[in-house]
Amino acid sequence: MTDFEGLLKVLRDGGVEYILVGGAAATAHGSARLTEDIDVVYSRTPENIACLASALRPCSPYLRGAPPGLPFQWDAETIRRGLNFTLSTSLGSLDLFGEIAGGGSYESLLPDCIDLTVFGIPCRCLGLDRLIQVKRAAGRPKDLEAIAELEALREERGRS
Amino acid sequence: MTDTRRRNEIRLDPDPVIEAYKRDIDRTLLRENLKLSVDERFRKLMALQRFAEELRRAGRAAR
Repeated sequence: MTDFEGLLKVLRDGGVEYILVGGAAATAHGSARLTEDIDVVYSRTPENIACLASALRPCSPYLRGAPPGLPFQWDAETIRRGLNFTLSTSLGSLDLFGEIAGGGSYESLLPDCIDLTVFGIPCRCLGLDRLIQVKRAAGRPKDLEAIAELEALREERGRS
Repeated sequence: MTDTRRRNEIRLDPDPVIEAYKRDIDRTLLRENLKLSVDERFRKLMALQRFAEELRRAGRAAR
């Protein structure tokens, strides 16, 4: 099970600049679908990459699904050389995106974020309309039901 | 939740495929979720995760 509160605390305590996207963002907006991980888009500035490397190190991040024993080292250099990482950590699954399809980078998503507080932790979350837009742009058949649900949420919110 | 930024203009034109999927969405679940706080939504998700994990364990044990 993913410890959402624990992971958000780690990111907050480490001063990491990130935006909650994907299924966890959908949950924040009211989705009833089960998601098993946290997806975040992180800022690629050198300072933030250093924060991300330090913040997650105590959680023993490792490439999810990869065989054990690979020479994988979690540090700023690894993050700088890569872009997107699907990680298992001691607190659960965490997907880190330097960019997302149809959304681009942290900076380009920032104007379409909302500020929310989860478990007392302030965090940025992609707004519902932009979340729908990036999921549409990704064009993955597996997202069709999720997009339909997000659009239904948008309609329901419009009614209340 | 509070909006603090001026958002980009986002146009979401109806997509016939998504409209077809939308017909099967259980809106009663969404309406119940919209009554909850964000914290409560995440706590519900974690409870659902625990339940799913227990079901998987039970399934493995039964094989």
